[in-house]
Amino acid sequence: MTKRWEETLYDAYGQGFSVGKVYFESETDHQHLMIFENDKFGRVMVLDGIVQTTEKDEFIYHEMLTHVPVFAHGNVKSVLIVGGGDGGMLREVCKHKGIERITQVEIDQAVIDMAIEFLPKHSDGAFNDPRANIVIDDGLNFVRETDQRFDVIISDSTDPIGPGEALFTSEFYESCKRCLNPGGVMVTQNGVAFMQMDEVQTTAKRLKSTYADWSFYGAAVPTYVGGIMTFAWGSDDSSLRNQPSDLIAERVAAAGIETRYYNAAIHAASFALPEYIRRSLANL
Amino acid sequence: MRQLDNQHAQSLAAEHGTPLLAIDCHELADRYAALKNALPGVDFYYAVKAFPNASVVNVLNSLGAGFDIATSGELKLMRKLHINPRRCIHTHPIKKDSEIRAALRFGATTFVVDNVAELEKFVPYRSRVGLLLRVSYRNPDAVVDLSKKFGCDLRNAPAILERARELGIRVKGLSFHVGSQSATATAQAQAVRACGDLIRAERLLGHSLDVLDIGGGFPVGYHGKPVEIEDFVRPLREALDELPEGLEVIAEPGRYLVASAVSGVFSVVGKANRGGQPWYYLDDGVYGSFSGIIYDHAHYPLRTVAAYQGGVQSSVVSGPTCDSIDVISEALELPELAIGDLLVGEMMGAYTAASASEFNSLNKAKIISLNEEAYLSQVYYIA
Repeated sequence: MTKRWEETLYDAYGQGFSVGKVYFESETDHQHLMIFENDKFGRVMVLDGIVQTTEKDEFIYHEMLTHVPVFAHGNVKSVLIVGGGDGGMLREVCKHKGIERITQVEIDQAVIDMAIEFLPKHSDGAFNDPRANIVIDDGLNFVRETDQRFDVIISDSTDPIGPGEALFTSEFYESCKRCLNPGGVMVTQNGVAFMQMDEVQTTAKRLKSTYADWSFYGAAVPTYVGGIMTFAWGSDDSSLRNQPSDLIAERVAAAGIETRYYNAAIHAASFALPEYIRRSLANL
Repeated sequence: MRQLDNQHAQSLAAEHGTPLLAIDCHELADRYAALKNALPGVDFYYAVKAFPNASVVNVLNSLGAGFDIATSGELKLMRKLHINPRRCIHTHPIKKDSEIRAALRFGATTFVVDNVAELEKFVPYRSRVGLLLRVSYRNPDAVVDLSKKFGCDLRNAPAILERARELGIRVKGLSFHVGSQSATATAQAQAVRACGDLIRAERLLGHSLDVLDIGGGFPVGYHGKPVEIEDFVRPLREALDELPEGLEVIAEPGRYLVASAVSGVFSVVGKANRGGQPWYYLDDGVYGSFSGIIYDHAHYPLRTVAAYQGGVQSSVVSGPTCDSIDVISEALELPELAIGDLLVGEMMGAYTAASASEFNSLNKAKIISLNEEAYLSQVYYIA
């Protein structure tokens, strides 16, 4: 019988994977982490019953959390990545030649080591980029304490039930704001709205009291099942979210970055939210 | 029923020492098969609390059973053994938020509630869970009554279901547990019918309930006479046949599966004559493997292992601790035993080691499993 792994994110629904070679598995009393081969998605990393990333579709997620804020800003010199131990976000950020300083705060060095060994395509050497400074610390603790300032902050967390919990708190969003340069922007992964509307609403309430301009943008990532994944957006500069398409297109062309999902048209379109999300955000 | 024979008991004691609890995995598999045959169509979730043991879980997992867990401690055992979380249900009606989160992180998404305060704990997790509402159905006949401490009155169930809908929390079914060691399944049958009526009424209002968890409580015989499970479940089967269509029926047997699968081997460590009666002190007692005498109203058949000359005499069998409550039997007919002689305790699987303590800093009995290798090749789930 083919081995199977089934996601257990929802009681009433779930995706299943055939399991080929298991590259890595770690089971403690509190946490289960596994990387295995799947015919459709390549290497799949799962944590506590939930898909974290796969080789075949990770580009959508990482490109959208990186290039949308960076091109919207237009002159990013410094970036903070919170989480993102697999290195995919760092890889995308490093593609921007104009960025001078990249700080990544990951809570667990073991995640980085494991990803370099078993998910090497994610970081693709980015951990060796001289601009990258890797800090092993709790993300909330770092943004609370640091006196560094950033143009873009990207929160690449796990699910709110688990180790990523602190990265969905008001305190985290407020601390991120404190760490942003004027005109900076914070983006975070925020779950699949159709399946987890509570998460979107909770984040929206917290952003609303912190940032002058806030919203969500979206992209469909196949293994984050249930429709578009929403990314939270917070900034004090409302123009960033409404940059003219031509300007974005110019910046993309000038950067000369190769992407597989992101482009100027996707950039603009990703801020268009379906009615079911708009309505649930209307009366908060 | 398979019993640990005397020669085997002696060789196990020689190899492992005493006190010892030996799991016979063949007997466990036989009990599981017997219950499945007696209640066709019912999906069984072993109540891990009865005997939380890796061998028992592995064997039942290989046979296709699911698992009824109640705490994050039991979850750890499931994690360690790579049990499919989809085959685990969390059935404690009262739990801390941290317990809910631990279960979700493991991947168990079915929980039990029996009141509105408990229901409201699930608001933050409503996109992820499916709940069972535990109803109370008192059984005056049960030795262990489990509908006093837990379960909502059936008359209050519709209001709780309505509140769940208002909160956007999915209640996918009902559960009950009438208690255990009843002589008949009449109470279970009545509870099934009452739940069936409630499910029909809810469905007429357009509210679906898809699962009925009929609990456990399937009895075993502690006095040498096995319970005929086919006879016991007859009224229950009749009631199940009358349930509305399309209902998934599950059960949480614990005692029935493990009681007869575990035998204890104990040594006489001291003897005395008090008030004209022989007293024998064993290396295990009510603070250890015989804890069910206190907590579970159980009395385990004890027998000698060696061949004895001469008659028997009413004797007191006591445990090893300094406490006077630590008495296993006040009047057991025994031949004259010597220090070092072995006794075998039968039916020692359910609520024995599970509730044993280390009072007096005495170690708990060692647990071994027999014939486990016959069941391990069939495990199919990897994570």
